[in-house]
Amino acid sequence: MRHPTEGTLRRLVDEPAGVADADREHVTGCPACLSGLTAVQRDAAAVSTALDTGAVPDVDAAWRRLSHTVAVDERRRASAPAPARRWRNRLRSPVVAVVGVAALLAGGGAAAAADWLQVFRTEQIAPVSITQADLVALPDLSAYGTAAVVEEPDVREVPDAAAAEQATGLTVPQVADLPGGLGGDPAYQVGDRATVEFTFSAERAAQAAAAAGEVLPAPPAGLDGGRFRLSAGPGVAAVWTSGSGAPGLVVARAVAPTAESSGVPFETARDYLLSLPGLPEDLAAQLRAFSGDGTTLPLPVPAGLVTSSVADVDGAPATVLTSRDGSVAGVVWVTDGVVTAVAGSLDADEVLAVARGLQE
Amino acid sequence: MDLVGHRISAPAVVLSRGRAAERTRREDGGAVSGRGAVRADLEQVFRAAYPRVVAVATRVLGSRDGAEDVAQEVFLSFAHTAVPAGEAPAWLSVAAAHTALNHLRSGRRRATREETAAGPPSSVPDVADDVVTLDERRRVRAALARLPRRQAVALVLRHSGLSYAEVAAALDLSPGSVGTTVRRAESALREELSRHASSH
Repeated sequence: MRHPTEGTLRRLVDEPAGVADADREHVTGCPACLSGLTAVQRDAAAVSTALDTGAVPDVDAAWRRLSHTVAVDERRRASAPAPARRWRNRLRSPVVAVVGVAALLAGGGAAAAADWLQVFRTEQIAPVSITQADLVALPDLSAYGTAAVVEEPDVREVPDAAAAEQATGLTVPQVADLPGGLGGDPAYQVGDRATVEFTFSAERAAQAAAAAGEVLPAPPAGLDGGRFRLSAGPGVAAVWTSGSGAPGLVVARAVAPTAESSGVPFETARDYLLSLPGLPEDLAAQLRAFSGDGTTLPLPVPAGLVTSSVADVDGAPATVLTSRDGSVAGVVWVTDGVVTAVAGSLDADEVLAVARGLQE
Repeated sequence: MDLVGHRISAPAVVLSRGRAAERTRREDGGAVSGRGAVRADLEQVFRAAYPRVVAVATRVLGSRDGAEDVAQEVFLSFAHTAVPAGEAPAWLSVAAAHTALNHLRSGRRRATREETAAGPPSSVPDVADDVVTLDERRRVRAALARLPRRQAVALVLRHSGLSYAEVAAALDLSPGSVGTTVRRAESALREELSRHASSH
C-alpha cells in the first residue's frame, strides 16, 4: 500500500485513535514511515517546547479585571445617547452590504487568498479587534446633534437575480465570463434602503468643542436645528463560492449614499463641521469624501493594508484596491448614483476584466 | 462548530448580517436602555475557559502579560455575543489565536515581547526557559507571525489542546488535513530554529 501522508503521521503522534487502522499497521512495519514518524515526533516536540511558556494565570484577578471593564463599558454605553448608537450601528449596514467587499478587501489586505475565510471568521468572532467595518460607516456626527433611523435595511437572501431585481429595483449585472476556478450560480443577497435623519445641534457642537478645549465658531444661519437626511441602498450582492468554499467573487451594486437637507445645504453643514476645532481627523476625512450627492463614495482606504489605484470601467472613473500581497483585489465605481463593486480572490486585472465585462 | 457556516458563501453580507444580528441583540437586549445585555453565563464561561484562552494567546505572544490582555479583549467581545455555551470554549480559543496573531503581526506587543525576551527572568517561574533560550523564543514568534494564518492558527490551537476535530471545525478543514497543516507549520518553525542554531 502507499505510504500514509506526513499529516497522517503527525496525527499518529498525538491522536492515534483518529488514524485508520490500515495506516497504523503500515507504519508499524515500514522502516521509511517509522523514520518519518520519528522526524515528525521530534519536530512536534521541539515546537511544543518552544511554544510552551508555562503560563498559569490568576483567574480570580482576571475575573475582577474583566468585571470592572464590563461595568465601565456598560456605563459608557448607558451614558452614550441611544440615537448616537443607532446612528453608528445602523447606518453602517446598508453601505456595508454594498461595499462590504471593499471593507473585506481592506481587512484581508495583509492576508493571503486562502485567508479570506479567516478574515470572515475574525469578523465574526473578534469584532473588537476589527476596525475596518468603520471604513464603510457614514460619518458619525453624534457629537454634533441627534440622529434617528427612518428606514431599516433588512438584509436577506433571495433565490435568484430576478427576485433580487424585484426587491431592489436595481439591474443585477451579469458576469459574462467567470474567472477560472469559479462556476455555477451565485447566491443573491439584497438589502432595502436605509435612512437616518440627523438634526444639527449648536449646543452639542459647543459641548464637543469645549471638550476639545476650544470655542465653537458661530454656526451659519439656519444650521442650528437644521435637519439632514442621509440614505443608502437598496443594494444587491451576487456571491460565487470557489471550490474550497471560500468566496471567490462578489459583484455588488447599490444606490449610493446621498444626503438631503430641509434648509441649509448639506455641503454648508459639512464645510462648517470641517472647520470645527477638535474634529477627529478620521471623521474629517470621511466628511471630505462625502459629497452627499451620490457621486462619490465615502470609502477611506487604510494606507498600508491595501494599495489603491485609478482605472476606468466603461468610461466611469473607478478605484482599484489590491491587497499588499496581491492575492485579493476589488474595484469600485459609481455611475448615475449607483455604486458597483467587484472583488475576489483575484488579481487587479481579473477584477477589472470582470467589471468591464458585466452585462446589464 | 458552525462559526461561519452559511456565511462563508456570502462575504458581502457577512458583515451586514453580523451587524444586523448585533443590532437586533443590542436593541432587543436592553428593553429600557436599548443596549445589549452582558450574557448571563459570562462568569461561568470565563472561569472555565480563561486558563486555556490565556494559554492559546501565550503560545502566540510568548508573554503572559500580553496574553492576558488578549484574553480580556476576547472575553469582552464574547460578553455581548450569543454564541451557545457549548461552542464557547472553541470560539474563545479561535478568537484568542486570531487576536493574538493580529497583535503579533501589528507589532503592538513588540515592546512587551522584547522586554520579556531580553530582560531578566520574570518573577513567574518558567520551565521552558531551561531548554529554550529567550532568543530562540523570540525567533519562534517571528516565524509564527510569518506563517500563513491558517497554519499558525491550526498549530497554536492543536498545541493548546484542541482536538483535530475541533481544529478542523474552527478552520473549516477536514480533520484529515489538520495533521498536514499542523505538520507544515511545525516543519517551518523547526527549520527556523535549526537554521539559527547551526549558524551560531
